[in-house]
Amino acid sequence: MKAISGIGRFFVGIPAYFKGESFKHYLKTLRYAFYVILHPFDGFWDLSHEKRGSLAAANTIVILALLTNLWDMRFTSFMFNNTRWNRVNIFEVIASILLPLAIWVAANWSLTTLMDGKGKLKDIYIATAYAFTPYVIIGMPMIVISNLITSEEGAFYTYFNTFALIWSVMLILAGMMMTHDYGLAKGLVSSLLSVVGMAIIIFILLLFFSLISDAIGYVVSLVKEITFRVS
Amino acid sequence: MRNILFRRVLVLVLLVSMVAATLGTAAADEDWYSYTYNFWKDEVESPDTYAVTNTLFGTDFGEEVGHLNNPAGLFIIENHIFIVDTGNNRIVEVQKVDGEYQLVRVINHLQVSEELAEIMKIQGGAITLTLNGPEDVFVRVKTQESLVEDYGEYLGTLYDDPASHQEETPATDATTETGEASTEDAATATEDAATEDASTEDTASTEDTAEDSSSSGEDGEAVDENGSDESASTEEGGSADGSEDGSEDGAASDNGASAPAPVAWHENVVKQELNLEYDIFIADTQNHRVIHCDYNLNVIGVIDDPKDDTIDDNFVFLPSKIVADTANRLYVQATNVNSGLMEFDKVGAFISYCGANKVELTVSEKIWRRIQTKEQKDRSVQYVPTEYNNLSLDSKGFLYVTTSTLEDDDIWGGTATPVRKLNSMGSDILIRNGNFYPSGDLNWGTAGLVKGASAFVDVIAFNNDTYACLDRTRGRIFLYDFQGNMLCAFGNYGQYAGCFTYPNAMDNLGEECILVVDKYGSITEFTMTDYGRLINNALAEYKVGHYDASAEIWKQVLKYNGNYELAYVGIGRALLRQGEYKEAMKYFKSARDDVNYSKAFKHYREEVVEKYIGWFLGGLAILIILPKLVRKTKKLRKEINEA
Repeated sequence: MKAISGIGRFFVGIPAYFKGESFKHYLKTLRYAFYVILHPFDGFWDLSHEKRGSLAAANTIVILALLTNLWDMRFTSFMFNNTRWNRVNIFEVIASILLPLAIWVAANWSLTTLMDGKGKLKDIYIATAYAFTPYVIIGMPMIVISNLITSEEGAFYTYFNTFALIWSVMLILAGMMMTHDYGLAKGLVSSLLSVVGMAIIIFILLLFFSLISDAIGYVVSLVKEITFRVS
Repeated sequence: MRNILFRRVLVLVLLVSMVAATLGTAAADEDWYSYTYNFWKDEVESPDTYAVTNTLFGTDFGEEVGHLNNPAGLFIIENHIFIVDTGNNRIVEVQKVDGEYQLVRVINHLQVSEELAEIMKIQGGAITLTLNGPEDVFVRVKTQESLVEDYGEYLGTLYDDPASHQEETPATDATTETGEASTEDAATATEDAATEDASTEDTASTEDTAEDSSSSGEDGEAVDENGSDESASTEEGGSADGSEDGSEDGAASDNGASAPAPVAWHENVVKQELNLEYDIFIADTQNHRVIHCDYNLNVIGVIDDPKDDTIDDNFVFLPSKIVADTANRLYVQATNVNSGLMEFDKVGAFISYCGANKVELTVSEKIWRRIQTKEQKDRSVQYVPTEYNNLSLDSKGFLYVTTSTLEDDDIWGGTATPVRKLNSMGSDILIRNGNFYPSGDLNWGTAGLVKGASAFVDVIAFNNDTYACLDRTRGRIFLYDFQGNMLCAFGNYGQYAGCFTYPNAMDNLGEECILVVDKYGSITEFTMTDYGRLINNALAEYKVGHYDASAEIWKQVLKYNGNYELAYVGIGRALLRQGEYKEAMKYFKSARDDVNYSKAFKHYREEVVEKYIGWFLGGLAILIILPKLVRKTKKLRKEINEA
């Protein structure tokens, strides 16, 4: 009974939420992404220092980026799309974006705390997420456009997608510079070192998992051996 | 609370992705007899385009033939099959009549007339040439013009009156004539047999055995024992000399005396069907020469020891595969030659190398070689051009060549060209419009001794420009159409029918039959199935421009094999020409043919735009005009109100 009333209250809460202040703030922070991508230095500075971004908006952009990636695989014309759906593992696809993002944030934070970076973990995440915006706002229309062009016009498609990626990378760089209050040189170096840090983290993770699987394998074989002896 | 949840989700995602990564995609290693590759380079089972209809062994052709020993070559012209029985130093000629294979004769020696011997500076006149480890034979129909031309110009010789040759009727005349020749020659042969062994160094390759000792496929002994360079010289007259030499053809020489005819026809031969106007070229490999003779085995010319500035002085000429084109040029693929094919003109003089590979170093290789010291360079891998291993001629006079010395990585990467089509300039003009280059298997694993990429060792081109390549690695035959699309692959490594352990050569018997000869002496006959015929017909119809007829056949092909991408493209093409763009797009998409899909889509897009442009513009106009209209009316109303 209590649960039902809880659910009821939740649904009643929905329209209220959309009218509420927090939702307005969310929309505002989300809309701010457009400002950020066009005025990266100014935008990223305010994003972390003036609290003009929000975690909710960042999450939204990340989810949209995931969707862009998935829809790209699903709906892009076969001429530009070599996805083999019988070999796709959707969790793998999602993890292939989320994991590097998480590792990037972790590596960058670990490094910048040692390099007088001003950004907190949350700030780094938000800045990185906001930098995904061009990928989303160019990638999504390109999925539609890919179905309206021929393979000869494919250069157009490739150009825009590459452009989006370069834009995003530049934004990440600008974001890191502003978040940590670095100059260009230090921003570049810290970003490059973060990539190295990512490699180290991945290496340790793999080592960890392989050791764990070896340990499990040992136990499994032990159990098998014992059951074999007993029976 | 939220933190724990977050952590759990993260760990879950991590775990799932790790597990998924380890599970991976274990590609199924299917092993079908016939298959094609789809767009993804996956093997897809296919109905058989060719089926095994016969497996033959040397003994099937009669006792006198016996087992074949490492047959290296095979050539088929009309219904005559020449099996180059390398290990036994002979060529077995077989004829297919009414579906039956019958022995025609065993060729193990050839006649050189006195006149030719003179010109070739063979002392002692007429002789017999025996074969030693022949690896290939090439036969072509002699045209009346080429007949005159050959006898007039080849090696500057006129050993026989061409006119009399033309009058010849098959078999019977041939035997008598050559018989006469042999008796004449006998006298001279007796002289030279003893004396000339040493002195004939310039023709070291041409050993002089007394011509008739050889003779006849019927005396099997002679067939088998002949051939080593040393076992020369016994002749029917001086049988005493022969026995002193202690050569094994003593018996043969007796036979030779009783049956002096050099060509002994097998009783099975349907004589009237024989076309004597054949030119035969034999790559007499271990004797370092190519012999050109007529169908009665009278030598017209011998090509040996090519001389040229580009050829090293101590170059050893080991002709392995030969082809003569319609312009009377002879192309020779010689062992240990990586500068391309050796091209000889119609009088047997070396012209040049043809179709050589260019060696291209990558940037890193260039830099690395610059750094290396001379010693290191000498010891490192030599970057040499690939060596061809076989060649064949198509009906239009283009050469198809194969090579098997390519890097596995290049073949895996899809950039290797193990089969090429050469024009007269020697450049590769093979069309490679398929999803991948014709290079045999696209993915492969290792199974015991069978490993690595396909190694093409032979190629045959059919009249409709489809061609078949023989893969020695896995004993497979790959069929490609004129655009370079793979039609089908079949065969396997093994011991049962339709499989090979070491296929050496193949050739086509007519347009529907392929014969493959294996090192271990088996000859496998493949015949086209109904399915294969459908594909062939569809391609043929397409080539002559009957696109709709072609599409109808492709539809039948689809009934056999719904996974056949080429069929979808074929139907799509017909639809495209009929203006059924949307349907065509569907078919092209099934085959993932983006080029044709784009063509169809372009038209379809135009159609759609044309159809809806009115609505679109109308809508746009309304969108622009309506607000203005509204504003105007408002203004008007306001004015009216104010007024």
